[in-house]
Amino acid sequence: MLASILVILGLASLLVMVPRGHAIPAFSRKYQTSCTTCHSNFPELNDFGEAFKKNGFKFPKDDETFVKQEPVLLGSKAQKEAFPEAVYPGEIPGALPIAFRYSGTFAVNASQPSGVNQTASFIPRTDIFQPNTFTIISAGSFGQNLSFWIDDDISTGGSGGMGGLGDGYLKYNDLGRFFHLPLNSLNVRFGQFELDLPFTQARTIYLSDFDVYDQMNVAGATGTTNNPFALGTPQRAIEFGGYPNNGNFAWSVAVTNGGNDGPALRSNKDVYFRASYKFNLERDRESRAAIQAAGPTGPRDHTSIRLGGFFYHGRNVQNIASTLPLFSGLGSFSEPFYRAGGDLRFKYRHLELFALGMVGHDDNHLVLTDTTGAQTLVKAPAITYTGGFAGTNYWVFPWLIGTMRYDFVNSPTDFFNGVSKDRTRNRFSPGFQVLVRANIKILGEYSYTWESPVTNVSGNTVFYRPNSFLTGIDYVF
Amino acid sequence: MEPCKLAVKGFTVGLALFLMAGASLAGEIKGKVSVQGLKSAENIAVYVDAIPDKKFEAPAAKPVMDQRKMTFVPHVMVVQVGTTVEFLNSDPVGHNVYWPSISGNKKLSHNLGTWPKGEKKGFQFNDPGAVGLLCNVHPEMSGYIVVVPTPYFAVTDKNGNYEIKNVPPGKYTLKTWSEDGKVTTQAVEVAGATATADLVVKK
Repeated sequence: MLASILVILGLASLLVMVPRGHAIPAFSRKYQTSCTTCHSNFPELNDFGEAFKKNGFKFPKDDETFVKQEPVLLGSKAQKEAFPEAVYPGEIPGALPIAFRYSGTFAVNASQPSGVNQTASFIPRTDIFQPNTFTIISAGSFGQNLSFWIDDDISTGGSGGMGGLGDGYLKYNDLGRFFHLPLNSLNVRFGQFELDLPFTQARTIYLSDFDVYDQMNVAGATGTTNNPFALGTPQRAIEFGGYPNNGNFAWSVAVTNGGNDGPALRSNKDVYFRASYKFNLERDRESRAAIQAAGPTGPRDHTSIRLGGFFYHGRNVQNIASTLPLFSGLGSFSEPFYRAGGDLRFKYRHLELFALGMVGHDDNHLVLTDTTGAQTLVKAPAITYTGGFAGTNYWVFPWLIGTMRYDFVNSPTDFFNGVSKDRTRNRFSPGFQVLVRANIKILGEYSYTWESPVTNVSGNTVFYRPNSFLTGIDYVF
Repeated sequence: MEPCKLAVKGFTVGLALFLMAGASLAGEIKGKVSVQGLKSAENIAVYVDAIPDKKFEAPAAKPVMDQRKMTFVPHVMVVQVGTTVEFLNSDPVGHNVYWPSISGNKKLSHNLGTWPKGEKKGFQFNDPGAVGLLCNVHPEMSGYIVVVPTPYFAVTDKNGNYEIKNVPPGKYTLKTWSEDGKVTTQAVEVAGATATADLVVKK
């Protein structure tokens, strides 16, 4: 029972605490252009936005000619010649690159079964503006090759709620020029950031997280595994990556703390690797090579299929000060784990289809205590899960988008620990998004979700579907 | 000098004198547009409205409407009915040009599609009215082509000054078009070299 509570609390805390990154009106001001230049439905990036981001938050070509707010030069460009006798020249944005975002939702929750112990498991039928988040975002470039991004939820969950840093990093673009590699084939970034995930959770258009990104392996009654790592959470890391072949191929390798967005929980580091290839299906060669395809009525995203894979490997060290539970009779021990998966995205005109499947695997142990009270460690069946999601977005009009998503997580351990009634946790989430303006959005999402446990007044566990409908407003400025 | 050559020379001189006299007959309309309730008097189209029983051939010249640094350049262009305007993309980013109507007539909407940097696409404007140019990826971009029935037109400078040249003597109706203002109509007579007409455009 304790284990299941721990798991539920862990999942719930992640759902609340994962900070989100956002669209960035600071760029609108810098270039005097609309959000729609980079976003078809903020914060999701269109092809141009992807190219802009990959290029270190600069226009892919002739950036200087588009900048309407002139940067402040920290040394004339001619000082490059004087280096190393002078500080290498750089620049900072001419205007403070600050933007803000507010999002708040109205929730309608399913009725709980009669007889639920309301002191332990109360969920209100409706909840106005929960979550309720105000975020500050700053991003830009420091000259030719350096760029930065910082987003911080100033408050979440209402007055006095604790927010937190989402992404905060510095990136050096085109490190590969020193090795005569093609443009942006090798870049490096440092800081705290969402890993190079196939589908971003920090900058998702959806109101709910991808369930599998939040999955943590916790053995509970079945062993020692208690791994706080969640793929969707920002990590403190150093990442090398690049986008050769006109940006169609993308790769990244990151060395991470593995402690999510907190300090290192152990001495060793984890490694994350991702590679993807976008098959551009545009017929016209010129259109294929351009940043956006030339449609009969205007530029649009390329018709394309992107295939990718990712792998995360780490070692969760147990029985050290930062982990629970502690086994007093044992020294620290290591439990290697990995997450691996593949993904697909298809774009055609107003339609976007996507899918991701992954597995999680953690080594696990049992602690045996003999009659004298001495503890020994024995290998136990691994804690595993499979999961993923698939979905579609359709632009009925440029301002009206229909969404549909299916999430699933199959965790035998969670099932054993009573997290859900069935072994596979399924969730269907149809939704809509209305761009009232390019920077203001009204959105709604219904979740038809798996059967979860609640305790009734008799102390028994009963299951019900905590379905909910979330609708809200989201604006940036 | 041979008689034949003399006749040709005489004809040429006579023709030149005739043309010079004709040119001297044409005048100009100039003046200043002031505004009430508008931010600026710049980019206001001033033109001679349709002249009864007078038809004008479509000009051969093809003015260029540029898309540069994510703006339409010029912001306001005036052309005579029948003019072919060439739309140029000078940006390394994708643009398109479309207009949802001409002076509110949605049947005249048109989308020219997309074309790469350095290339042009032409369109002949055969219907008079104001054409609001848009780009469907960069909604902040806007430009206007004002299609007018005569070849006598001008666009005001930043101080509201305008000058319409080569207007033959006669009585005309002067009209304005502006982005946010009402149409102003004013009678004007060109008798001498310069006719002056100051106009007021209200929001």
